[in-house]
Amino acid sequence: MNAIETHDLTKYYDKLCAVNHLTLSVDNEIFALLGPNGSGKTTTVMMLTTLLRPTEGSAAICGHDVVREGEAVRKRLSYVPQDMAVDIKLTGRENVLLFARLYGINNPKDKTDEVLGIMELSDRADDLIRTYSGGMRRRLELAQALVHEPEVLFLDEPTIGLDVAARKKIWEHIRQLRKNGMTIFVTTHYMDEADRFCDRVGIISHGKIAALGTPTALKAELEKDVVTAQVSVIPKGPVTIEGVRCVGQQGSEITFTAENGREAMPLIARALEGEGVTVTSLSMREPTLDDVFLHAVGTAEDAGAFDYQQFRTMLRRRK
Amino acid sequence: MNGIKEYITRDMIKWLRSPVSVVSMLAMPAAWLIFVGLALPVTFTGNYLDFIVPGILVMTMLSSSLNGGTLLMFDKILGFLNKFLALPTPRESILFGKILFITIRGAIQATIILVIGILIGATILPLAQYGMIYLILLLFGFLMSACATTIALYLGDHDSYSAFNTMISMPLFFTSSALMPYDVMPGWLSTIAHFNPLSYAIDAVRAAETGTIPLIQIGLLALLGGIVIAICMQMFRRVTV
Repeated sequence: MNAIETHDLTKYYDKLCAVNHLTLSVDNEIFALLGPNGSGKTTTVMMLTTLLRPTEGSAAICGHDVVREGEAVRKRLSYVPQDMAVDIKLTGRENVLLFARLYGINNPKDKTDEVLGIMELSDRADDLIRTYSGGMRRRLELAQALVHEPEVLFLDEPTIGLDVAARKKIWEHIRQLRKNGMTIFVTTHYMDEADRFCDRVGIISHGKIAALGTPTALKAELEKDVVTAQVSVIPKGPVTIEGVRCVGQQGSEITFTAENGREAMPLIARALEGEGVTVTSLSMREPTLDDVFLHAVGTAEDAGAFDYQQFRTMLRRRK
Repeated sequence: MNGIKEYITRDMIKWLRSPVSVVSMLAMPAAWLIFVGLALPVTFTGNYLDFIVPGILVMTMLSSSLNGGTLLMFDKILGFLNKFLALPTPRESILFGKILFITIRGAIQATIILVIGILIGATILPLAQYGMIYLILLLFGFLMSACATTIALYLGDHDSYSAFNTMISMPLFFTSSALMPYDVMPGWLSTIAHFNPLSYAIDAVRAAETGTIPLIQIGLLALLGGIVIAICMQMFRRVTV
């Protein structure tokens, strides 16, 4: 029995399909759901944490159905939403103790001390949250989530808005929890973090899984080199070159993928020159998760060009 | 108590740690008590302060309830509600904790107003009568805080709710029996006042002060409270699934 099991999980907001027949199983690993804004990441997490009712399909946490056995599911999971909701007028200890008591665990005070210690917040435990930094607030939320020793931990954008050092610390804690046997389900759009810290990633686009596997396998699957061209002016139309795929454009940088980068580079240069574009430099590298992502969800432009009106509808419904 | 106590404790600490909100919510009823209760030249009663105290106590409960309507709405907007809903604790505890907290907070404020009233000359009553008065105030508090919470959840944003709050609170107070007895009112006002739930509570408190048990008003408040809490639970379920 896997910790998280979904089968054709689907969610419609009116006519907008936010999550489309998602089938996944996650167990004893750090699993990252990657996707552009509005791709259905948060909706998925909310269905798995019993905060939203699926339109179709099913999902189970530790064998318990999220619709029929809501309470059993909630007993086994912890959920840290991306909003950073901690009471700033309460101390760190009071914030954690509240959750310890709400979970109804035995000796809540000792457990509170313990998790504050794990999250390295003991010496600031009696200060008001008002005085905490963003990273400390996030760690406090992790402490709240850990008081009842959940089997599955859901983290929605755990490192959003944090500085590099704070992010690294959060990930170290998450890795440690995973080592102790917890299943961790995160959503993020930081590719480098998913690449470095997660065991397996699923790339979601328009509510569907577009790629699934370990970061290494996904990069290897691309079997391609990434060629980046610095150009003086942006070509007007799309550049079509046989055997080369244009995957994105950012500022004066155009990115291509090709089976053999070395052979593709002169072709790219010639094609661009033919369009009247001066190439100032060309470089080649191994693919990163960014390239896997762009390959899976389309070009950078496509990823951004979602329907704003539909996105508003979804946000409104999700609240 | 399945989490209700914890939710109340959380709100209580947050409230007590913001002295400005504790004092500011008392300023309006205290001002009415002192500047109107002591100063208004009325001819229908010898001790106007004694007449107005029940109205001001109910007003205190009303403003605490209306202000409290925003609490659950903000928990929802700021993401606390989602965290609480993902807990194995019964979900209704969130709602009942909120309604109880708002009511208890109102009762604490009403107590302070009552003490101020006594200090400036209101008649001291036997203990049993105070017990009856508190029962009425608590019933009224449940009714109004469930009402305010439902409307705030329905409206969903702070601006709309505070507009609603401003619109409703004063007219509700002026069209009740808080400031004058029915026989002094103009006919049209007396008709409105008879249908105003504030009047039920105020009349009940006045009756309790004379030593009678106002069964009809208590029954009406309990019935209305039951209906509103049922609607409120329905609204809560609608916004949480």
